[in-house]
Amino acid sequence: MEQETAIQFRNVSKIYKLRRKDKGAKKGQKTQYFYALRDISFEIKKGQVLGILGTNGSGKSTMALVLSGIASPDEGEIEVRGEQALVAINTGLNKQLTGLENIQLKGALLGLSKKRVEEIVEGVIEFAEIGDFLYQPVKKYSSGMKSRLGFSINLCLDPDILIIDEALSVGDKGFAAKCLERMRELKETGKTIVFISHSLVQVREFCDTAMWLEGGKMKEFGPIETVCDHYAQYIEYYRSLKKAEKRAEREAKFQGRIIESKKVSLFERLFG
Amino acid sequence: MFTSIKYVLTENLQNIHRIRSIAKYEILADMRDSKLGVFWNFANPVIQVLTYWFVFGYVFNRKDVGEIPYLVWMLGGMVVWFFVSPCITDGCNAVFRKVDVITKMKFPVSILPMTVVLEKLFDHVCLMIILVVVFAAQGFYPSWHWLGLVYYLLCTIIFSVSLSLTTSVLNMLARDTRKLILACMRMLLYLTPILWNIEKVGYGLVSKIISCNPIYYLVQGYRDCFFYHRGFLAYSWSMAWFWGFTAVLFFFGSYMMYKFKTRFIDLI
Repeated sequence: MEQETAIQFRNVSKIYKLRRKDKGAKKGQKTQYFYALRDISFEIKKGQVLGILGTNGSGKSTMALVLSGIASPDEGEIEVRGEQALVAINTGLNKQLTGLENIQLKGALLGLSKKRVEEIVEGVIEFAEIGDFLYQPVKKYSSGMKSRLGFSINLCLDPDILIIDEALSVGDKGFAAKCLERMRELKETGKTIVFISHSLVQVREFCDTAMWLEGGKMKEFGPIETVCDHYAQYIEYYRSLKKAEKRAEREAKFQGRIIESKKVSLFERLFG
Repeated sequence: MFTSIKYVLTENLQNIHRIRSIAKYEILADMRDSKLGVFWNFANPVIQVLTYWFVFGYVFNRKDVGEIPYLVWMLGGMVVWFFVSPCITDGCNAVFRKVDVITKMKFPVSILPMTVVLEKLFDHVCLMIILVVVFAAQGFYPSWHWLGLVYYLLCTIIFSVSLSLTTSVLNMLARDTRKLILACMRMLLYLTPILWNIEKVGYGLVSKIISCNPIYYLVQGYRDCFFYHRGFLAYSWSMAWFWGFTAVLFFFGSYMMYKFKTRFIDLI
């Protein structure tokens, strides 16, 4: 059976501006434009679980922002069917408020109705394992506890497409396992999930398709096993390089992402 | 143009619960921050009013305005200023202070000015309570004329939101906006006839220019409800000017919000 498309990218690029604000910069040198993502095209079907792999600075988080519709691409088109939600852990938690108040606040921030928030409160408390700390201000929480609370609220959302960016690195192993379990449940219900992680083990275990980003470009897109194997090989290769070679490779990657500066005046930004 | 207005309006209407919750917990967090909590919401304006009263009423020995004691007369106008002024200064920071939220969540940015105004409305209500007490002590009791305050309060809210829509986006483009506004606020306080009566500058050109200030319309309206009871129509020219000004601000603010709604993340 042909499945519905959930997300489609057509030649998507995202460009960031790099500005030098230190005194040493010469005039022409001041602004550079930088490809955070370059010419990416792919398609995810409904119910697929996509893992995104890549080293630091390869554009994974930008990818998450573009996927979730928070940032819009500078070039290319995106087509999304259904509602996306990015799992943001510590966002929107207020240190002065108690755990319970934070659940209500964050629920409202995420756009849940009053009734819906009331419904999920029980589940969140149960899942986050905060226990007696519920009525304590969040500033007294340990960092793991805070992350658990934030993460649990997110998991109680009910979006069609769930985007998870490095979220499982919080909490201890037991909590990570619990989260994976919950995500598996979501997967069973036919949700599309995009899972961004460094951890090859988790990606291999959880996803069925993988994308490998390197230097802002999509290096490979395909079934999980092949991409993961290639990525592991690359990591090995990179590790085996000497310091100078590593630097040369990084430099080459960086230069490949720079574009010649273009001038955009304030007036054009406002009315163009 | 109309799509952007529709966009801002629907976003605000659809997210009433979100707006209320943000404002509520913002106030609550602020209270938790201090030991005395809600006490400061009352104490802060009282101290400020007393300062102005001491300098202008006592040291400069202002006479009664008409038959109204200076303190009462000043408070009648000051009460709006204490609402509008934080709305303007914090309103322009509305989007920027929630940067961590808008970069990590899909969030209706255009509701943020409204949350700030709603938050300040709480302080306004606190000050209104003080005002009623002071007025009663001086022999000015609430009457049905005070119902006009509802209209002027609505004016103030709409004006503040419209202005904040514009300034909060401009503040994202260049953080200088906020610095500029902070610098201008003090000037605006003295240029608006709050601490002095507009009749002092005569009826010439200066007076005309000063009446163009939309905040003066609000100050004048509040005072009218408290003391003069001339009704809305006595100020029809100011009214037309005020609404025209507010409408332009609102259109421009909505246009900017709509245009930059997915761009904010690149502007940090």
